[in-house]
Amino acid sequence: MGKPTDLVQGTLDFLILKTIALEPKHGWAIAKRIQQISEDVLQVPQGSLYPALYRLERQGWITGTPGEAESGRRVKFYRLTKAGRAHLERELESWKRLSTAINLVIRATSAEG
Amino acid sequence: MRWVDALRTRFFWWRHRAAWDAQLEADLQFHLEQETADRVARGASPARAAREARLAVGSVESAKEACRDLRQVPGLEPLWRDLRYAVRGLRRSPMFAGMTVTTLAICLGTNLIIFTVVDRVLLRPLPFPDANRLATVVNSFPRAGKDHDGASLTSYYEWRGHLPAFASLSAFRYGTAVVGDAGSAERQDVVRVTPEFFTTLGVRPTQGRAFTDADMTPGQDASAIVTDDYRQQRFGSRSLIIGRTIRVDGHPRTIVGVLPPGFRWLSSHARIFLPLSSTLAERSVNNRYVSGTEVVARLTPTARLPEAQAEVEADYHAHASEFPWAKEIQDAGFRVTVVSLHADQVAFIRPTLLLLQMGALLLLLIGGANLTNLLLIRAGGRAHEWNIRRSLGAGRRDVARQVVVETLLLASMGGLTGLVIGAGGLRLLGLGLAELPLGGTARLDARVVLVGLAAAFAAGGLMALPVIRFATRGGLTTPKAGGRTDTATRATERLRHALIVAQIALAFVLLAGAGLLALSLERVMTISPGFSPDHVLTGRVTLPHETYPDDSARAALAARAVDAIAHEPGVMAAGLSTDVPVNGPSEDNAMTVVGYVPPPGVSPILHNRYGVTGGYFAAMGIPLRQGRFLSSADSARRLRVCVVDEAFARHYWPAGAAVGQRVFDGPLQKRTPSDAFTVVGVVGSVPQSDLTDSRSTGGIYFPFWYDAQPAFFLALRTAQRPESFDPALQRIVRGLDPDLVVDDVRSMDVRIDNSLAPRRSPALLAGLFAMIALLLAAIGTYGTVSFAVALRRREIGVRVALGARPEQIARQFLSLGMRLLIAGTLIGASGAWLAGYAMQRILFDVPHVPAAILVGTAGVMATVALAASLLPSNRAARLEPTEALALE
Repeated sequence: MGKPTDLVQGTLDFLILKTIALEPKHGWAIAKRIQQISEDVLQVPQGSLYPALYRLERQGWITGTPGEAESGRRVKFYRLTKAGRAHLERELESWKRLSTAINLVIRATSAEG
Repeated sequence: MRWVDALRTRFFWWRHRAAWDAQLEADLQFHLEQETADRVARGASPARAAREARLAVGSVESAKEACRDLRQVPGLEPLWRDLRYAVRGLRRSPMFAGMTVTTLAICLGTNLIIFTVVDRVLLRPLPFPDANRLATVVNSFPRAGKDHDGASLTSYYEWRGHLPAFASLSAFRYGTAVVGDAGSAERQDVVRVTPEFFTTLGVRPTQGRAFTDADMTPGQDASAIVTDDYRQQRFGSRSLIIGRTIRVDGHPRTIVGVLPPGFRWLSSHARIFLPLSSTLAERSVNNRYVSGTEVVARLTPTARLPEAQAEVEADYHAHASEFPWAKEIQDAGFRVTVVSLHADQVAFIRPTLLLLQMGALLLLLIGGANLTNLLLIRAGGRAHEWNIRRSLGAGRRDVARQVVVETLLLASMGGLTGLVIGAGGLRLLGLGLAELPLGGTARLDARVVLVGLAAAFAAGGLMALPVIRFATRGGLTTPKAGGRTDTATRATERLRHALIVAQIALAFVLLAGAGLLALSLERVMTISPGFSPDHVLTGRVTLPHETYPDDSARAALAARAVDAIAHEPGVMAAGLSTDVPVNGPSEDNAMTVVGYVPPPGVSPILHNRYGVTGGYFAAMGIPLRQGRFLSSADSARRLRVCVVDEAFARHYWPAGAAVGQRVFDGPLQKRTPSDAFTVVGVVGSVPQSDLTDSRSTGGIYFPFWYDAQPAFFLALRTAQRPESFDPALQRIVRGLDPDLVVDDVRSMDVRIDNSLAPRRSPALLAGLFAMIALLLAAIGTYGTVSFAVALRRREIGVRVALGARPEQIARQFLSLGMRLLIAGTLIGASGAWLAGYAMQRILFDVPHVPAAILVGTAGVMATVALAASLLPSNRAARLEPTEALALE
């Protein structure tokens, strides 16, 4: 298991939105899901995850409502709001454009090298 | 708006912060548990799983901290902390807090009291739709001695529909009528109006209709419109009252309309409106300048007052030649002005109210200066604390916020207490005063409360500014800091001294202003009224037109009334006159004196004219100068004789010998010599409008048979208390005719006293303001000199130890007080001089600021300031060197 990559804040926000796009999740489930999908490359510590969640909630892209978790505890489940979904669409779009562009640059520079 | 949502979320979180914290705690706990459980499930031992989970998850505390930072509303939390800190601080110095709140409350309270009245009377529009478009037309004849008169009924009919600037024009006339059945009749105010009156005002009857032109013909005018208030009182729950009749002046009138609830015509108490019916003769051109009628007009939305005025002037000009006395009108300096109805209604009280508001604002300024000083001194005592806070990392903004929070806390406490004082003061005022002009009583309402609180906050903010300035620049010194004086400290000192000088100057202005008002009142009160007002009772009787249709019927009733009163035991003299002294302007007319040719360009003068009978002059105590009084016999025998007063006699016959001269009533026009009246006596002049009535144009008294007006005053003189004859007066008049009532029954002393009220109330209020101002200035001076002593304790100690005499020490601080006093007095005296000019309009016989007032004010200020500086100076002189030095 390699050293987890530090996440840029904007990227973490984007990942959280993507993770709960399908169904509402609580904090731990979000972190777990990001870790799984990235095949343990991305580990999200509490100190980054929860502030990010509150920031997103304050911005109105997600809302958190207390619900019952697997262990019976009442924890906050987060889901996308309408504005959040729209924001995610836009982010996805620009992310795709950006990654395509970066790939092109990387390929070009590798060819030169 | 995204940021609004964000702010709302923050506020929501902040409000529910306890639940929010608990949820965060639960979430973080669950996260850790889940992480541990997950590792155990993958085969780790519980202890190892827990350790690894903690590592992976990171610090719980720092996560919490990061989240809480997001929760906080910017600035709110520190603000709350500052507020609690300020409350604690004020609790520790209750003297300071009490002093500040009281000063502010008194200053704001007095302002609120005056402002409530100013707002009600001057600022609020009249209670009609688009009231700013309502106007009235004022005729004035300055050279004939008449400055304010309405426009006539003739003018109304001439202008109606012809002046494009007026969307609607109507005429009205104030009057009274006996309303109700015989025996239970009551005299009430009525207003007689033309058809467009209510449409001009923008008021629509809730039932029935307004008057029409058909109602304007005498004989067909038996209709009435009543207010909703009258409907409820007279007819109770029956709501539809159109077609019902009421008895007015003994004759039935049909109610044709009911006005909406709350309708009120300016200051009038009228609840019944009657048609202003008139014959064609009354509308004739000869009556174009007759007084007694007023007009109210609504301008078109685009027209302005000057435009309307130009049209009215042009109309007068175009029709000037039709009027038989056009030259006389011109000689009288005739002018016409179209003025806003509201402005015209409040013109008489506006200068007084504005002056009082200015006085109250001065008081607020003095209070503000005083408090700023107090705050600066207190801040000086806390400089040490602030320096520590600054060195511990508090920024300028933190210190500034702290100062603002504390000052605003004081200001809001002062503001709230001020509201209480204002409400209480208004209640007290309401007990002693009749209603306000334009009706209603002065009471605090939401609008005034808002203005008051806003003023409190503004005052608080302003007072905080200098403190912030010096607190953030480190310009404050503590007394304990000893001799450290840098430029900033000296700047603070200069500001504090300037504030004291300002206080003394402002208090000087207020005191001098109050002195001027008192002097003016005193001059009015020492005016000799020209008659003997003591032991005279007067009351008004108005005869209904229907039962007393002509002069002879009215004269007959009058003769019987006077005779009956004269025979009442205890009555020394009884008489009757169409008007009594100090009762406001009376009826007037020009006179034509046989053998008198006015110099070219000199206007005929309008003389007060009266109809009298019985022993009126004896009852009123008007002295005889030449010839004889008029008597009942003159009226009974219908003699063409008259009596003039001294001013009249002096004007026409400066050489003397008025008795035997002949006078025509009114301008000379096709009269036979037998119409003339022979002067049989000259009596002393009496003031008509009020004691200050400076129109020495003269009055003329005719026998009542000739001028038997339907409204007149009965007057009786007695050796007993005049008021005790009120029941007898009522009994006698009702005995003659059960439909009649005597109203407005007052002794002449009371009438004079009442006529002084418009001068007395401002003088009393100004006196009160001046007292408070003086007290504040004294406290301010005392505080400043005390503070100077405290600052220099060490220096004093050293000087005393080196052998300085106590007088030398005391002199040093006394001279500080004196310097402040002299500067304040000089500025104040110039201010008072200016104020005296501004007050000219409401002062009587005080042509300029008398030196005595300035010297007297300076004397009072000096005494107060001296006393206030002496106390701390003496304390400084008695200081023991050991005590002074031990403080370090």
